[in-house]
Parts: sequence; C-alpha cells; structure tokens
Amino acid sequence: MVNIQSEKERIESWKKARKAELYINPLPVRIWHWLNALGFIILILSGTQLRYPNLFNVMSFETAVRTHNWVAFAVIANYCVWLGFYLFSDRITVYHPELNPKKFFDKAFAQMRYYGYGIFRGESSPHKVRPYDKFNPMQSITYQIVMLLVVPAQFFTGLLMWDVKRFESWIAFLGGIEVIGTVHVLIYIFFLAFTSVHAYMGALGRSPATHFREMFTGYEEEH
Amino acid sequence: MNAKLQVLVIDDDAVVGRSFDRVLSDKGYEVSTVNSGEEAMDSINEANFDVVFTDIKMPGMDGLEVTERIKARCPWTPVVVITGYGTEENEARASVLGASGFVRKPLTPEMIESVTLKAVTEAEFAEAANETVAEVETAAETSATVEADKTVVVHSKAKKIAKNVGLFFAAPFVALGYVIALPIVGFYQFAKLAREARAKKQLNK
Repeated sequence: MVNIQSEKERIESWKKARKAELYINPLPVRIWHWLNALGFIILILSGTQLRYPNLFNVMSFETAVRTHNWVAFAVIANYCVWLGFYLFSDRITVYHPELNPKKFFDKAFAQMRYYGYGIFRGESSPHKVRPYDKFNPMQSITYQIVMLLVVPAQFFTGLLMWDVKRFESWIAFLGGIEVIGTVHVLIYIFFLAFTSVHAYMGALGRSPATHFREMFTGYEEEH
Repeated sequence: MNAKLQVLVIDDDAVVGRSFDRVLSDKGYEVSTVNSGEEAMDSINEANFDVVFTDIKMPGMDGLEVTERIKARCPWTPVVVITGYGTEENEARASVLGASGFVRKPLTPEMIESVTLKAVTEAEFAEAANETVAEVETAAETSATVEADKTVVVHSKAKKIAKNVGLFFAAPFVALGYVIALPIVGFYQFAKLAREARAKKQLNK
C-alpha cells in the first residue's frame, strides 16, 4: 500500500532538489549582470559620442565626458562585486578551464555544429546547463577571456586616459596616449560586437524572452 | 544486580567467617565464606567481590598464593590478608603481591568494620582515579585528534581555495591557447573526416 503522505513528501523533496539544480544565476550575479549591461550601454553610447560626435550626438561634450567617467567607475566597482563573488564562492568553478584538450575540442566542435546547424533544425544544445557548469565550451573560453583579460584591459586603458597627467609615466611606458587610445577604442569596437552577439544569443531560447527571463529569476527553465 | 557490597572471607576456621558475617551483614555488606584457596578461586570465577579477606595459613593453597592468583585474575579487587602468625616477612610478601592490607588476629568487630571500609574506600578511590585518568587521556586524545582533523581540514580547504583561484586566473590563458589551436584542430578534424568519407566512397565503388 502506498503511503500518500510519504509519497507527497518524496515528490516535494524531488521538486526542491530539481529547483536547486536549475538555480543557475545567484542574486549577486544577476545584480552584477544587469548593472553591468546598463553601464556598458551608457559607456558605449557616451564613448561613441566622445570618439565619433558626427555619428552620435545627444549631449554636450562635457556631459559625455563626465557621464563616461562616473559610469566607468561604477562599472569597475560592479566588476569588483562580480570578482569577489566568484573568488569567495564555490561557483568559481564556472570560470575554470577544461584542462583536457581532447574533451574540450570534442565538446567545442559539437557546440559549433549545434550553433551552425542543429539549432536551425530544432535540436537541443549538447551542453546541459548546471549551476557549477553553466557555460558551454564556446561560452566558457569567451567569458574567461572577456572577463579576465579584455574587461580589465579596458578598465586599465580607460583609467590611464581619465587622468593623463597622473599616469604620465605609465602612458609613456606603454607607448604613448595614441597607443592607449587605440587599444581602448579597439576594445570598445569589440564590446560593440560582443554585446550585439550576446543579445542575439540571449534571444535563442525556447522563446526570445526565455533567457532574459532566466537572467531575472536566476532559474533555468525546464526544457 | 545486588546493591550490597560483596565480601569474600577465606579461612579454614569457620568462626572467622561467621564473625565477618555478624559484623558486616547489617552494615550493607553480603559476606560469603569459603574454607580453602581452591574454593575461593571457584567463587572468584563465578562472582565479583568488592573485597576479599584471606587467612595465610590454610591447608592446600596458602593465603599469599591466593592473593597472587586473585590479583592476577582481577587486579582491581582489594585483598586483605589476615593471620594469627603475623611476621614482617609475610607482610612484605603480601604487600609485594598487591595486598591492600594486613590484619592480625584476634579481630575485633571494630577492626573488621574499619579494615573492610578502608579497603573498599581505597578501591573506589583507585577506580575513580583510574577513570579520571582514562577520561583525561581520552579527552586529550580526542582533543588532539580534533585539532589534527581541524588542521587537515584547514589545510585541505586552503589548498582547494588556492587551486580554485589559480585555475580561475589561469583560465583566460588556457582559453587563448584553445582559441589559437581551435582552427588548426578544426582543419585537422575536417581533413580527417574528408579522408574517411573518400575512403568510404572508394570502398563502396
């Protein structure tokens, strides 16, 4: 005879475990993500006005500079929150590299095949998202490079240009303001492309809003 | 379980046993009497005694041998040697064999009571002291083990954190390596697939 009470408890505990399994993005990551998104959009727009005023001009040059600087510092502070969260939580494994090259390439090619072919045929992704392994191999290498090399490089070059006088010796050591400016702009162009691709990929869920909703709730929807 | 303290009296003179019984039985003791060392050993094998009194001069096994055997079998049981022939040599031997006390006949009721009480109390103190030492040793061992465990846990935690952080900061460089290698490996994989397809085609022909 089935004990209904214990059966109910079993189902409840299964649901709880399943829910925990699908809790991919904790609150600090979500807060960081959306603040970062907002900051990046403002930085890209204000940066565009500073560099290409003929292309985009919605505020005075001074306001654009002040906005760009303040938002940049806010984004740096926000980055520190992100860094602190990962350094001091067990979710740090999300940013760990795959140390087995064969495994990496096998998975990476499977993922590339999915993006180039399978996704258009309604196949499901070869990568199963898990709280401690949320990125597929392609996302994984991209975010590792972006978050730990490209973003800090952009902060650094931006900081040098923020107070040229104070960082004079650093600028001279790195080849002058032209070099620093060019690197900053190249990374800006990269981010322009990255955010566009990021938003496009974000719309590739079960419905265009699925992944965006997930980034607000923290829970991956059941597929 | 018997709440009364168990006393065993070994003496070939039944009067001694009766004296002990008369003095101690209404003071919370239960007195058993035997006439020889052999009988005493049988009783010891069958029951636990809180204190044993033994005469020295007995037919067969003498009191000192009985003391030695009892102490070998249950060293925690106090044995008091009684004799009408008290010599310094016998006292010294009894002491070496582990006897708790040595009393000389004739025994008065006060002597019986006080010697019994003394032997039992000393045995209880000794047991309590042993337990305390054991507890202290166990506590020290447990504490040492816990400290050792804590150190191991702290070390392994520190090691794990160092590994996690190391991998975290190494990740972009490993990723750059993969990015550079990806087209090369991709080309190799593609060439391999093409070669396999060609071989399959030729096989079909």
